[in-house]
Amino acid sequence: MSKSASWKQRLERRLDTTERTVDPREGGTGRGFGRVVVTIYAILAVAATARALWQLIDHGHQAPLPYALSLLAGVVYIVATVALARSGPVARRVAWVAVLFELVGVIAVGIATVAVPGSFPDQTVWSGFGQGYGYVPLVLPFVGIWWLRRTRAPR
Amino acid sequence: MFLPLSLAVFLSATVVLMWSIAFVVRDRPVVLKQLWAAAVVECLLAVQAVSAAVALVAVGREIVVWEYWGYVFTALLVLPAAAAWAFAERTKWSSVVLAVAAFTVIFLQWRLLQLWG
Repeated sequence: MSKSASWKQRLERRLDTTERTVDPREGGTGRGFGRVVVTIYAILAVAATARALWQLIDHGHQAPLPYALSLLAGVVYIVATVALARSGPVARRVAWVAVLFELVGVIAVGIATVAVPGSFPDQTVWSGFGQGYGYVPLVLPFVGIWWLRRTRAPR
Repeated sequence: MFLPLSLAVFLSATVVLMWSIAFVVRDRPVVLKQLWAAAVVECLLAVQAVSAAVALVAVGREIVVWEYWGYVFTALLVLPAAAAWAFAERTKWSSVVLAVAAFTVIFLQWRLLQLWG
């Protein structure tokens, strides 16, 4: 790369390459399809956390428990995002715990909100199995589990 | 919110969305031209954020401030994040990420219009 190349040319050159798709078992959870998983987890993390913070600050006294639960969900989404983006055995274990936590959360709160309407005074990310978020909170843990299994290193 | 500006955001983000889906289908990573298009969307979003702030101060609309700015900041964040990954991931998955980001911008724009009423 010559020094006289303009920054535009440099950018162009860096984006002028195509790699072969890496083997999921070698690339770790943050590569290839994993980028898509991490992106969607990140968007959900920001959405859930920001919303819960706003609810708690703006009218937290109305329904402290659902809002606190939403905040917890948001924080665990952040943990899942970071753990999936990183590689290594510790990050993998953390990702498993976070993803399973989200799965249990969305199913438990989903059942509670459907079986006993009004058990939660206000919406959370997990209400009605994540209805308010296009059921992404319900689908994502399964995608996460599938991806964590798919990227497991061969023994 | 200034409607023509919103329409411009919808239109430009849809172009980025379709363009990146076309790249996914053809198994290609993101190219620089797509990032210029994404930069246009980002500029429109920034102009919109500033004009909305001015309008809010000047007119003082009744609006759920936290929620509104949460959406604005999320919308501003997704495209730069997708652009950063276009450099790191030189496979078709960078195109999928850009498509997800463009879709998020469109969705958030729709929610912003709803909130503005």
